[in-house]
Parts: sequence; C-alpha cells; structure tokens
Amino acid sequence: MVVSTLESSHPLDKYLRTARLPHIWCPGCGLGIALGSIMRAIDKRIKEGTLKKENLVFVTGIGCSARTSFYVNFDAAHTLHGRAIAFATGAKLAKPELEVIVIGGDGDIAGIGGNHLLHAAKRNMDLIVLMITNFVYAMTGGQVAPTTPLGLYTTTTPHGNPEPPLNVVKVVSSLNANYVARASVTHPALVEQYVYKALGMRGFRFIEILSTCPEIFGRHIGMRDPFTLYSTLRSKVIVKQSPSIEESDLDWGKGFVIGEYLVRDNPGYLDRIGRGLK
Amino acid sequence: MSASSTKFRVNIITNRCKECGICIGVCPTKVLVKGDKHNEHGFRYPLPVNIERCIGCRLCEYNCPDFAIFVEVVKK
Repeated sequence: MVVSTLESSHPLDKYLRTARLPHIWCPGCGLGIALGSIMRAIDKRIKEGTLKKENLVFVTGIGCSARTSFYVNFDAAHTLHGRAIAFATGAKLAKPELEVIVIGGDGDIAGIGGNHLLHAAKRNMDLIVLMITNFVYAMTGGQVAPTTPLGLYTTTTPHGNPEPPLNVVKVVSSLNANYVARASVTHPALVEQYVYKALGMRGFRFIEILSTCPEIFGRHIGMRDPFTLYSTLRSKVIVKQSPSIEESDLDWGKGFVIGEYLVRDNPGYLDRIGRGLK
Repeated sequence: MSASSTKFRVNIITNRCKECGICIGVCPTKVLVKGDKHNEHGFRYPLPVNIERCIGCRLCEYNCPDFAIFVEVVKK
C-alpha cells in the first residue's frame, strides 16, 4: 500500500465520490477526460453563483458513459437503457427549478433512445443532453453503433462497416433545439467552454463529445495504445468557430469538424406551458 | 507523489493511475516520465522527473482520465 503524502487534494475531489475511485473505465478511456471537463464547467458556474449544487441532477441510462452518475457527488439517477431523456423530462416538469443533465453514449442516446431524443428536441425541452460518442457499443463488446464511421472494423463488422453513420448533430439541428455543438475529449478546454455556455441557456441543449475507446474500438483498427488513438483522433479533429451543418458528417478519412453548430434563444417547453421560472 | 519547480508543483495521486500514458504524451515540455514502481493496483505511475521544465499549462491535469494528476502554483 502506497500512502499518499500529498498536502492538497485534486481540485475536482469535492464533486466526486472519491471512495469509488479509481473508476471502472479502462485505461485511457476518454470518458474520464469528458467528465473532468464537465465538472470544471459546473465548478465555474457554482463559483459564479449562477448554479446551485443542490439543483443539479444527473440522469444517465445504460452503458460505459452512464457510469458517470456513480462518480458525481450530485443527485443522480441511473435509469433504463435509452430512457434517460424520458426520465429527465419528468424530473424537469415536476421541479422546474432543477438543472437536469443527461449523459449517455451514442448507443444509449442515438441508438436505443433515439426516439426520445427526437421528441425532446422537437419540444425544445429544457434539458442538457451530452452524448459521448466513442463510435461503438463498448460495454457489450464493441458491436457496430449508429455512429460508427463507414468502413471501420468492429467486432460485428470484420469486413468494414458497410453503413454510413447517423449524424446526430444534423438530426438535432433539424428540430427545435436551442444549442447544438460538437466537442472532442482531445480538446478538453472546448468541452468545458461549451458545457459552461449550455448551462446558462434555456431550451434543449445538445452537445456531442467525441471520445476515445482504446480497449474495444481501438484494438480493431490497430490503435490499442491509448495515446496512439488519442493523438489520431486529435489529428482528425478540425476546430471551426461557426461551422455549417453541411460540414458535420462523421467521416474517419476527412476528419470531424467540431464547434458550435447552432445557437438560438427560442422559448423552451416550460416557457410555452407557462411554468417557466423566467 | 509530488515534485515542485520554483513555480509549479505536479501532484500525482498514484493509486488512481492506470498507466494509459496520455499525460506523458500530451506534455509539451516532456516533464513526465513513466516510472518503474507499481501502485497498489499494479500500474506504473508517471514521475515528474524534469519538473524544472514545467510551464504550468495543465494539459496533463485536463487530459488525465482518472483524476490522478493536478498542477499547483507554488506560493513563495
């Protein structure tokens, strides 16, 4: 047993259930980077006084990314597979003063919970949805996901994925969402910036966070080493200040454009039914 | 585990480390080096050997997936 001799603790320890650390995720998993960036954005809002810690609720479904609700020291709910947005809608309608954050993977939110995503975005429901895209169903063994780019190898596509991916940013932009952005764990400062901005807005806010999965996704494409996959994804990410929706396609060859795709301030669902706080 | 230069201190919570090597890879001035000691889970944690080169960019802190590393400004 190595006894810690540190005089100070990690700056995010006050928001983490430290007794549960080290977490369940594999070495080099991007989820920890994403969670850290989200916590720093929340920390900034709490220090400013624009967000109360007791009003924050994390709702997650099933999957690797859904394990985030086990490690955060806020109110959290771990719900059925794909139904996190439905649960969060109920929580927000029952107590409109809550700030509800849904975290899920691409399989959870775009695959199994796809219809809930469409309808929450259609209503402009006052939620923040963070979709952490690692391109496969990682917890169940690396099956092909709706967002797997064309031609990549996974456990169930040994000859390359024959299906073009689902572009969730484009789908949500075509509905009534107020904020649509794409970030990447290889640029953690941008994740923090977008989550910080989303926390101060109303209506439906959707952020897709591209992530790395060296253990399940990387091993089939020859990038088993975490830093190799991390630096490969970083080289494929193109940061743009105000990208157009047409550039948002997920293409492993051409790279991924990240940035704020859509920012507007339409009235949210709670404003429309007359129970909004503003 | 911690080491400090005249300006910055790099702290490593050794038992949270999972030896992914991202902190070593992202460091622009190559402060961190993979160590040869194992923590209680059997992972070899990094050591801030070249701490005098640290510029305090915090890329290691922001990119650590395991909340195992953080940088402090030394008050003198």
